[in-house]
Amino acid sequence: MTQIGEPILEVKDLKVHFPTPDGVVKAVDGLTFTVQRGETFGIVGESGSGKSVTCLTALGLIKRESAQISGEVLFEGHDLLKLSNEDLRPIRGKALSMIFQDPFACLHPFYRVGDQIVEAIQCHDSCDKKEARNRTVGLLDAVGIPQPDDRFRDYPHQFSGGMRQRAMIAMALAHNPSLLIADEPTTALDVTVQAQILELIDHIKQEFNIGVILITHDLGVVADVAQSVMVMYAGRAVEYGSREEVFSGPLHPYTWGLLESIPNIDRRGARLVPIEGAPPSLIRVPPGCSFNPRCPHRFDPCDKDVPELLDRGGGHPEACHLRIEDKKRLWNEREAGRVAEVAS
Amino acid sequence: MSRAAGTNEPTTDTPPADIAKSSKAVGEPLVTVENLTKRFPIKKGIVFQREVAAVHAVEDVSFSIFPGETLGLVGESGCGKSTTARVLLKLIEPTSGRITFEGEDITNLNKRQMRPMRRQAQMMFQDPYASLNPRQTIGQIIGAPFRIHKTPGEPKQKVQELMERVGLNPEHYNRYAHEFSGGQRQRIGVARALALRPKLIVCDEPVSALDVSIQAQVLNLFEDLQEEFGLTYLFISHDLGVVRHISDRIAVMYLGHVVEVATADELYENPKHPYTAALLSAVPKGKVGTQVTTRTVLTGDVPSPVNPPSGCPFHPRCPKARQVAGGEGVPENCRDELPPLGEVVDNHHAACWYPVEETEELARAAHA
Repeated sequence: MTQIGEPILEVKDLKVHFPTPDGVVKAVDGLTFTVQRGETFGIVGESGSGKSVTCLTALGLIKRESAQISGEVLFEGHDLLKLSNEDLRPIRGKALSMIFQDPFACLHPFYRVGDQIVEAIQCHDSCDKKEARNRTVGLLDAVGIPQPDDRFRDYPHQFSGGMRQRAMIAMALAHNPSLLIADEPTTALDVTVQAQILELIDHIKQEFNIGVILITHDLGVVADVAQSVMVMYAGRAVEYGSREEVFSGPLHPYTWGLLESIPNIDRRGARLVPIEGAPPSLIRVPPGCSFNPRCPHRFDPCDKDVPELLDRGGGHPEACHLRIEDKKRLWNEREAGRVAEVAS
Repeated sequence: MSRAAGTNEPTTDTPPADIAKSSKAVGEPLVTVENLTKRFPIKKGIVFQREVAAVHAVEDVSFSIFPGETLGLVGESGCGKSTTARVLLKLIEPTSGRITFEGEDITNLNKRQMRPMRRQAQMMFQDPYASLNPRQTIGQIIGAPFRIHKTPGEPKQKVQELMERVGLNPEHYNRYAHEFSGGQRQRIGVARALALRPKLIVCDEPVSALDVSIQAQVLNLFEDLQEEFGLTYLFISHDLGVVRHISDRIAVMYLGHVVEVATADELYENPKHPYTAALLSAVPKGKVGTQVTTRTVLTGDVPSPVNPPSGCPFHPRCPKARQVAGGEGVPENCRDELPPLGEVVDNHHAACWYPVEETEELARAAHA
C-alpha cells in the first residue's frame, strides 16, 4: 500500500437536496468521509446513488440557487461550500481538478487539443504562449500520447476515445493538483483501454503523491485500484472502509448483493443472486434504512430508524441494524453457499 | 478460410459446423454463416460517386450456432460484433458469404421471402430507451409481432401472458415505455422478442445499460426462458464476465475477424490467441490480492478498419509476436499472412501462427 499522508479533503455531513415540482430530491443525504494524500478513494454505487452529485457539489459545479446544500467540504483549510465563485476559481482546476466520464463531450470539437490545454494552463498561470505550449507538449508526453509535438495540432475527432481521456487527464494535471476527482473515467472505454487509463491514473497518483477520488459503478475497478472504498445507496453511505475490509468482510446486505450480482470472470458461476426490486425514487426514500424494502434480512427497526454509519465492532463503519455476529454469520453462510453451488 | 476473403468461392478446409462444439451442440446447427464478409463503401463525389475505400466491418467470418446453446460474441467496440449479428438476421445485406438457417440458404432471399424466417429469429437491442416506441403502449409494442404476422385471435391475452412470464405486471398493459425503469424496459424488449416463440434470439448488448443488481435479474430471466422455451441465443457483449456467465461457447472478434472460438471454460482458462489473453487480463478481477502488475497492457489503439493491417490483424499490437521475434519487429508470417482459424487443441480454434502456451506469461513481453 502506498504511504497515506495527511487528509486533503474532508466532507462532513454533506446534504444536497433539489426542490422539484414533484417533491424534494434527496440526492445526497448526510455524507461524511475523508480522502488522504497518496490514496485512491473509490466511491461505488448504482446510478442515482449520489456519487457524482457529491463531487460536483465539492467543486461548486451545482448551482447554489437550484439546490439546498448543507454540511462542510474542507479542502486545504477552506470550506469549499462557503466560498464565492470568485474565491473558488483559483482552487478549482488548479489544486482540485476533475476528469469526466465522457471524453467525447468534454473537448471542444472546433479547437485543437493542444490549444485547449494551453488555455487551461494560462487560466491560472500568467506565462507566455511559448512556455505554455512547451508545458502542454510535456504533459501530453507524460500521459503517454505518442509524438506529442505533432498531436498538439490535432483536433479532438482525430483522437481515439482512450487518447481523448489521456488528453483530459493531461489537462487536469496541468497545475499539479493535490486532489484529482475522476468521475467514471473508464466507463465509456473498452477493457483494454480501461486498463491503460487505470494504470496511468495509478502512476500519476504515486508520482505526484496526490489524492484521487474514483467514482465508478464497477466494483472490479475499485477492488483493483482503490485503497479506501465507500459504498453508496440512495444518497447515503452504507459501508466505508479499506479495500480489504470491504471486499473480504463486507458487513452490509447491499454490498453483499452487489458482490453477488456480478458474473465472475474466473469461473462459470452458478445462478446469479440479484437484489430484488429496484432502487428507490430519491423523492420518496423509504423510511428507516433506505435499503430495507429490498433487503432479505430486514427485521423490526429497519423500516423505522435510519441506521447510522458507525463501527459496530466489525472493524469498519457500516449502516445496518443487524448485530455484528449475525452479519458475520450471514456473510459466511452466503459465501459457503456459493462455494458449494459451484462445486456441485 | 484462406485469404480469398471477399470472393464467393466456398472454401473447403474446415467445415464451420464442427468448430468447437460444446456439450449442448448436438444434431444439425440452427444457423451457419460461412465466409461472411461485410464492407461498407466510402464514397466520394456528388454526381458520379465513386468508391474510394471501404470499412472492412466483417471479414471472412464462419461459425454455427446449435439448437439450445448460447454463443457469446465478444470484442472491443468497432470489431464488427453488431454488424455480424445484423447481417446474420439479414437486417443488412452481406457483401459476400453464405447464411443458412435450419438448413435453408437465406443469403439471397428478398424481404418478402424472409418473412417466415423472421418469426423464427428475433433480436433484442442494447438501449432500452431507444428501442421502444415512446408513442405506443406496452400492449401495442409487445403485440406488434402478432399484428405483423397476422396471427389469428385476440393478442391481448397472449401479450398479458408474455408480460407475466417476463416479470411485468399484466395490469400495465396500457402504460407507456417512459413509465418503466431501465430493467423493466429491457423485460418489455424480451417479451416482444419472445412473442412469436422464435428459435433464435440475437441479443445485442442486452444488459450493458443496466446497473449490476438489475443486470443479474435480467440475466437470470434469459437463462430461465432458454430452459423453458428451448431458445438459442447469439449473445453479444463487451463485458467478459457476463459473456462467460451466460455462454456455452464463445467467439472472440478483432477488427472484423473471428480470432478464437472455444467453449466458455476452455477459452477463459486457456486462451490461445494473444489478443484473447490480453483482453482477459485487462478485466479488473474484483478481488483483493490480485496483482495489477501481471496485467498484459496492450499498447496503442485498435487500427482503423478502413485500412486494416496486412497479415494477422493483431500483429501491430501483439506482445507474443514481439516475443517470438526477440524484441525486434514481428515475425514475417504475422506481418504478411493471415493465419487461418485452425484447431489448436481439441475443440479449440484460434487464428494465430504462434498460439499462447498454457503456462506462458505474456505480461513481461508487453512491458519490455
